[in-house]
Amino acid sequence: MNCQRFENVVSELARGQMMAAEQRGEALAHSETCERCAARLRDEEMLTRGLQSLAAEMETLDAPAAVEGKLLEAFRNREVVTRRRSNASYWAAAIAAMLLIAISVVVFRWSKAADEPRQAVKLEEPQVTPENKAPENKPAEEFAGVREQEDPLPQRPKPKRVRSSGVRRAESPQVANHVNNEVATDFIPLSYMSAASFQDGGQIIRVQVPRAALANFGLPVNMDRYNERVKADVLFGVDGRAQAIRFVQ
Amino acid sequence: MTNGLNWRMNLKSDLSDSELLRAMLAGDEEALALLYRRRQSGIYRFALQMSGSKTIAEDVTQEVFLFLMREGHVFDPARGSVSAFLFGVARNHVLRRLRVEHLLAPLGEDSDDDAPFLHPSNDLCPLDDLTRAETIESVRKAVLSLPSKYREVVVLCELQDVSYGETAEILGCAIGTVRSRLHRARALLLEKLRPAAAVEETGSATVKSARCFA
Repeated sequence: MNCQRFENVVSELARGQMMAAEQRGEALAHSETCERCAARLRDEEMLTRGLQSLAAEMETLDAPAAVEGKLLEAFRNREVVTRRRSNASYWAAAIAAMLLIAISVVVFRWSKAADEPRQAVKLEEPQVTPENKAPENKPAEEFAGVREQEDPLPQRPKPKRVRSSGVRRAESPQVANHVNNEVATDFIPLSYMSAASFQDGGQIIRVQVPRAALANFGLPVNMDRYNERVKADVLFGVDGRAQAIRFVQ
Repeated sequence: MTNGLNWRMNLKSDLSDSELLRAMLAGDEEALALLYRRRQSGIYRFALQMSGSKTIAEDVTQEVFLFLMREGHVFDPARGSVSAFLFGVARNHVLRRLRVEHLLAPLGEDSDDDAPFLHPSNDLCPLDDLTRAETIESVRKAVLSLPSKYREVVVLCELQDVSYGETAEILGCAIGTVRSRLHRARALLLEKLRPAAAVEETGSATVKSARCFA
């Protein structure tokens, strides 16, 4: 062992710390041959003794007894405060929950009441949306969404079933008519206009036309009721010109 | 009444610190009392050895256990013992308090609280007692004069006999750091104590031989 390695272990040696017996033997042997390292070891041992004396002197020191009393008192007060707080928080939570329920009920009923007139308006005046417009270049038969039940028009093309519920479906004029117990075809463009050229906006006017008019749009006509009239909705554009028509039962 | 309390506390004396802490947090006053009696001494001495002030030591001891009452649930057994947790809290309080005291202390004036807190020994003759008391007082002052990062390792490892591992947990550093700081701290202490040591042991402290590499 040399002085450098001795320096690394001298503190542990003086403090009596656990170290390998071989290393300890080498360090002690070195201190016997090196005067400087022997003095270094003595210094370290002296320091260790001084620190041990200081530790021993303070071994019996305790915190003043009053501290324990204060702490226990604080603990009891804390318990009382916590208990009071927990009672108060329980009542506060209960009141908050009741208020929340009451507000939820009021809001729910209010929103339901507000929705009903809005829905009624929608049913009476359905908007023409691009989805509702008849696709271009399709035969007139495809536009015929007439239901078969109680329908005087025999041998029609395969009818489209009109579903009656759902938010998205409520926007459709077909659904609106169905809700009103009316069944209608899709809008059929008049003259040479295509469904894609329908203008936004406009107005729908309910009219009655001779049943023979169905034949003009390629729809089948019940010859037994040929002289009767049939309801139709005519879509007028913002320019006042009739753009499309649909037949209603 | 007191006998009943002591009897109940004896029943709990076998519980570990962690179990006592859990019981205390559940509202068990006896668990607090037992934990306090078990740990107050070390905390008080640590604060006293770190600060040199009985007032600070008393305040810190109280603050540590008040903190334990309020925030004891933050203790994580996986990160160390309750004892290490308490020492860590005490260390933070002491350092904070010392910073404040340092800012408020008037220049060039020693605190009245800085008086020695050693008990005279009855086992030695008056001369030996005086020498011993002087030596201990010298060591105490030398420890107090160390920078805090060296002082805390000396206090924990040398005076409180805390292991390197637990000291590392308390200080939040590696064991190697604890070792190196302790080594450096002891070197600083020897430098501070060397004049006194030179008087006591004339030979050893004044030897300045050439470095050998035998």
